[in-house]
Amino acid sequence: MASSIRTESEAVGFAPLSGRGEAAGWQDHPILLRLISIALFAGIWEIAGRIPVSFAFPTFSDTIIAFFGLMADGSLPSAYLSTLQPLLLGVVLSAFIGVGLGTLCGLWRTGEWLAIPIFIVLQAAPVAAFIPMVTFVYGIGLTAKTLAVMILALPVIVLNTYKAVRNVNESLLVMCRSFLGTRWQSVTKIILPDASPVIFAGLRLGVAAGFVGVVLAELLITPTGIGDLITFHRSRADYAEMYATIGSIIALSTLTLVFLQWVEVRIFRPEKRGA
Amino acid sequence: MASLSRRTILATVFAAILGSAAPLSAASAGDMRIAFGDLPGIESIQTLAAIERAKERGVNVELIILNDEDLAAQAVVGGQADVGIGAPYTLIQKVGVPIRVFAQISTLRFFPVVNSEFYKEWKDLDGQEVAVQARGSGTEAVMLLMAKNHGITLGNISYVPGSEVRRNALLQGTIKASIVDAANRRALEAEAPGKFVVLPVEDLGASDEALFATADYLKNNAADVDVLVEELMKTAREITENPAVAVEFRNKYKLLPDLGAEADAEITEYYKETAEAGALAPNGGGAEAAADDFAFFSIAGQIEGDPATLKVEDFWDTAAIDRALAKLGKK
Repeated sequence: MASSIRTESEAVGFAPLSGRGEAAGWQDHPILLRLISIALFAGIWEIAGRIPVSFAFPTFSDTIIAFFGLMADGSLPSAYLSTLQPLLLGVVLSAFIGVGLGTLCGLWRTGEWLAIPIFIVLQAAPVAAFIPMVTFVYGIGLTAKTLAVMILALPVIVLNTYKAVRNVNESLLVMCRSFLGTRWQSVTKIILPDASPVIFAGLRLGVAAGFVGVVLAELLITPTGIGDLITFHRSRADYAEMYATIGSIIALSTLTLVFLQWVEVRIFRPEKRGA
Repeated sequence: MASLSRRTILATVFAAILGSAAPLSAASAGDMRIAFGDLPGIESIQTLAAIERAKERGVNVELIILNDEDLAAQAVVGGQADVGIGAPYTLIQKVGVPIRVFAQISTLRFFPVVNSEFYKEWKDLDGQEVAVQARGSGTEAVMLLMAKNHGITLGNISYVPGSEVRRNALLQGTIKASIVDAANRRALEAEAPGKFVVLPVEDLGASDEALFATADYLKNNAADVDVLVEELMKTAREITENPAVAVEFRNKYKLLPDLGAEADAEITEYYKETAEAGALAPNGGGAEAAADDFAFFSIAGQIEGDPATLKVEDFWDTAAIDRALAKLGKK
C-alpha cells in the first residue's frame, strides 16, 4: 500500500523526465530502490528482534503478523475510527484558521503585533507540558483532544503563512500596482499565489504535527483509539501488537504527507509538475 | 571565520554536556539500586522508612524514580536497577523475563465513588457508565469483580488515567461513578462533603506493590535482600500496631520533605485506614499473596490460565521472606 501511492506520486513527478529520455539505468527505477531499502530495514529489524535487543523488542515478522491480527479482529480499524475524529477536526480547523490568521497577520501590522508573538511562544514551547492543562479546562472529551491537535498544528501553519505573505516578491507587487491592480487583486492574484509554496509547506508540517498531537493526546488525556491500543498492549506485554500499532500510525502519517504533496503538485500548482 | 567560531561554540557546548553527563553515570554504582515505578507519595512512607533503615544496617541503597511500573521492570531486566517495585506478573508470564517477586509491600486499596444525586449503592450502577484508570487496569478489575459479586452488569466503561483527574471530573460532574485511590477519596470527602458515596469493596488481597528482582540478583545478594525484607516487615508491623509511627518515621528520616509539615495529618489518617484495612504485609506475602494475586490478575486479564494451576515458584522467590520469618517470627 505504501509503495503504490508513493509510486503514483513518483510517476507524476518523473513522467516528463523519462519522456525526455535523459535518465537511464537503475536510477530510472526508484520503485526497485525503495523496495530494496524497505527490505533492508525489515531485515535489520528482524535480526535485531532475534538477538534480541530487549525483551520488549519483537521481530519484524511478529510485528507484521500482529498487524494482520489487529486488522482481522477489527481493533485497529475501530481504533483509527476514533483517532481520526480529533485528528481530522483539529487539522481541518488548524488549516483554515492558520492560513486565515497567518495571511491576516502578514497583511496587517496590528494583527501581527497581537498574534504572532503568541504563536512564536507556542511553537517554541514543549507542548506536551500543556496537555494536562488542557484537560483541566476542557475536560477529557473530544474538545480537549482536538485542542491538543490544534496546539501542535496551528503555530507552524500560522507562522509559515505569515512569513510567506510578508516576504512576497516586491517586484510582483510593484507590477500589480503599475497595472492599477486593486488591493484585493494584489492579495488574490499576487500575494497568495506567490506565497502558496511556503503555505503548503506549512500545511504539511502542520498535518505532521497534528499526528504528533493526536497521539500525545491519546497517550496523555484518555486512552482511546491508537493511544489505547499502545497503552493496553504495553500493559499486557504484547509488544508485537504495540509495535504494529506504532508502525501503523507512522505509516499513515507518512502516506498522508505524500498524498498531500501529490495533491499540491497535481491540483494547486500544476506549473511545478515539470520542474 | 564566523562559521569557525560558531563551530567552536557548538563544540564547547557539546563538550560541556558530555562533561556534565559523565559524573552522573559514575554516581550510579551502588550496592542496591531500587527502582520506583511511580513518584513516591505518602503511601510510600513505609517503603522509604524501610529503605532508610536498611541503609543504617549497611546496605548502600540508591533510589531511582521512574514514571511507570513497566519501566521499573525494564530497568531491572536491563541491569540498570537491582530491585523494582510493582507487580510484574504479566511480564513474568508473557515475556518470561527472569525476574521474581520476593516480598509484598501492600495490597490494593481502591474506592468506588459515586455521585449521591444519581446512585446510592452497587445495584444502582446496573447498566450505568463508570470511569476507570485504563483498559485492563486494576481499577477496572475491581469494578468488574464487584459488579460480578453484586450480580449487576456495568454499562459503558470509560478510561480516564489518573486518580486526581477522575476526582476532578467527579467534582465537576463530568463523570458520575468512578474509582479512586485513598488520597483522592479523602480529598473528595473534604472538598464536597456528602456529595459522594463510597461503595463498599469486599476484601481485596491482591498486591498493589511488591518487590522484585532478577533470580540471579536474589541468589548473589541474599544478605542485602534479607536486610531489606526484614526492615520492610518490621516497619509494616510497627505501623499496623501503631499508625502514628508513620509520621515519626517521616520526621526521623526526613522523608518526602517537599510535602511540608501539613502532610503529617494526611499521613496519620492514611496509615490509620491502611492499618485498619490490614493492607500492609506484615509477613511479606508469599504463597498466600501469590494465590490472591493469581485470582485477581486473571480477572484483570493480566495473566492467563486457571489461577489454581499457576505455580507460585514461577512468579515468586519466597526464600528471603522465609528467612526473615524464621528470624522475626510470623504475625
